Amino acid sequence: MSTTFLKTFATKARKRPEFGVFVGFLIVFIGFSFAADRFLTFDSIAGIITVAAELGIVTAGITFLMIAGEFDLSVGSVLGVSGMIFAITATAGIPHIVGLLLALGAAAIIGLLNGVVVVRTGVPSFIITLGSMMLWRGVILAVTGGFPVRYWGESALLFALNGRFAEQLRMSAFWFIAVIAVLTFVLMRTRYGNWVFATGGGPQAARTLGIRINKVKIINFVISAVLAGLAGCIQFARFHSVDPTRGQGLELEAIAAAVIGGTLMTGGYGSLIGALLGALLVGMVRSGLVMAGAPSYWYQAFIGIVLIVASVVNIRLKRWALR
Amino acid sequence: MRNLKALLLVGVLALTLGGFAFAEEFTFYIVSHGGPGDPFWGVVMKGMQDAAAFLNKATDDTINATYFGPEVYSVTKLVDMLNSAIAARPDGIAATITDPAAVDEPLRRAIDLGIPVIAINVPDSRPAGERIPYLFYVGGDEYLSGIRAAERMLSVKKPTRAVVTIHEVGHIGLELRAKGFIEVMTEAGVPAEKLATGLDPTQAIEILRGYFSRNPDTDAIFTLGSIDSAYVIQFLKEEGLVGKVMLGCFDVSQDVVKAIQDGIALFTISQQQYLQGYMPIIWLYLYNKYGFLPANDILTGPGFVDASNVDKVVELVKQGYW
Repeated sequence: MSTTFLKTFATKARKRPEFGVFVGFLIVFIGFSFAADRFLTFDSIAGIITVAAELGIVTAGITFLMIAGEFDLSVGSVLGVSGMIFAITATAGIPHIVGLLLALGAAAIIGLLNGVVVVRTGVPSFIITLGSMMLWRGVILAVTGGFPVRYWGESALLFALNGRFAEQLRMSAFWFIAVIAVLTFVLMRTRYGNWVFATGGGPQAARTLGIRINKVKIINFVISAVLAGLAGCIQFARFHSVDPTRGQGLELEAIAAAVIGGTLMTGGYGSLIGALLGALLVGMVRSGLVMAGAPSYWYQAFIGIVLIVASVVNIRLKRWALR
Repeated sequence: MRNLKALLLVGVLALTLGGFAFAEEFTFYIVSHGGPGDPFWGVVMKGMQDAAAFLNKATDDTINATYFGPEVYSVTKLVDMLNSAIAARPDGIAATITDPAAVDEPLRRAIDLGIPVIAINVPDSRPAGERIPYLFYVGGDEYLSGIRAAERMLSVKKPTRAVVTIHEVGHIGLELRAKGFIEVMTEAGVPAEKLATGLDPTQAIEILRGYFSRNPDTDAIFTLGSIDSAYVIQFLKEEGLVGKVMLGCFDVSQDVVKAIQDGIALFTISQQQYLQGYMPIIWLYLYNKYGFLPANDILTGPGFVDASNVDKVVELVKQGYW
């Protein structure tokens, strides 16, 4: 009885996109628990969650978009733009809630532009968003002249976005969980979720079924950009300053986390829970290596190895699960 | 054309003034890889203008100083601007040797034409024999900055363990700063190493927390630029390490200046780039007029900002001197 239950459970589990990253997560977690003395402490776990939250919010947006078969390299720049708008409006004395809405609105517009250009021109989103990434980074540089924008002040909104509580935990963790929960619900339990899968999995079939795939893609571009913008505002809420390089390189880390989380670059397959675990895994690798005393110049190489191993394992697992 | 006009003007002036001391006119160019829109280079430009104004006032001679720099960093533009400057046959050029290979040909041509050339901000990094034979260099010394930073800390207190945060791994200037610092610390028996913290402040703070949890005896941090200074200051505040960890920074930014005023940071290092605009004009004038040359390169950095001069520097930053 129990063996059949376990068997069905195992068969079910391995069919989930996040199965690979879950196993990987456990292996790395257990490994670091042995390799680094202070890894298994509340402080250290809270730190991993803090890193994963910001990265994870961006990863969630990218994952959602990747499932629909598109790609967004501009998220790092969008994070910078939104953070910068929030910072500039705050220093100008504009109420924080207005600044936040302006920042997220700007992100939405950038996402909309990305989406519209991609679906109208048919140019791969990789290229369009690469251009968009450079464009908006350039705008940040030009507007700030290369200098950081600093705000000296506090507010309840800033605390709600990323305040610290219970020693080392931060509000960003709640935003992260909320984003994952909402997107998972949309993806798994609503008609729109089905459209997203269909748009990425088989655009032709989706079209035949009457799904307006261009609309789905544009909406997902907007979601991806707004979430990147939210992460930028969350980061500003903690640091009260934004420098022009903010978010640079984040796009690749977010894509790595999404792929580690089992989402396929080809679209139609992926999971937000996987994105969550992917972001946690990337956050954990950094902290774990520092605590294990590895020379810091090696982190990036290690994350590279994790990415390669994870993608290979994920592909294999998918074939095995679909057999 | 402009030169011709100027020449005519000088001729007329000379005729009118007749018996007075023979007044000369000099034209100098500063050609840099950074545009005047960048606040750093804005300060250099101000230094140049101030030096020219000073000489125009203090001597009978006329000094024209012009700044050339692309709005957005571009080697091609830098070379184009150098070529225009050389074409004007000026009495001196000060140029940044950011990319030695690219500026090698134009600068050697200028020197062959007899135009005095000074390197500013970035020297020719190649070995002595291959270097562009410019007169001398006016600018900071990255390696020496690291050395002085470590010496400054050691003179206050010998740390138990020191760490250098590096936000842009592989940036040669930053690596040299770190190298100088680590060498002096190691020699003094203080374990010191680099910690790659990157650009993202959230990740950087967790990397620092991880490092401190592994090495709780760390009591000195040296940051290499305004980006890592900002998050290290935040880290010290959040972790309640202010006063327990000695902090030395690089570059003059709002965060760092405030941290020095609040006693969080011991000092910050500046390359005093105002002098990189000011000194070349003065020296090009002295060289043209009297043949004077300094015996060595002129190092404008490391200059230190600490509790003793921070309030003055804050004022001077507003006026565009730092």
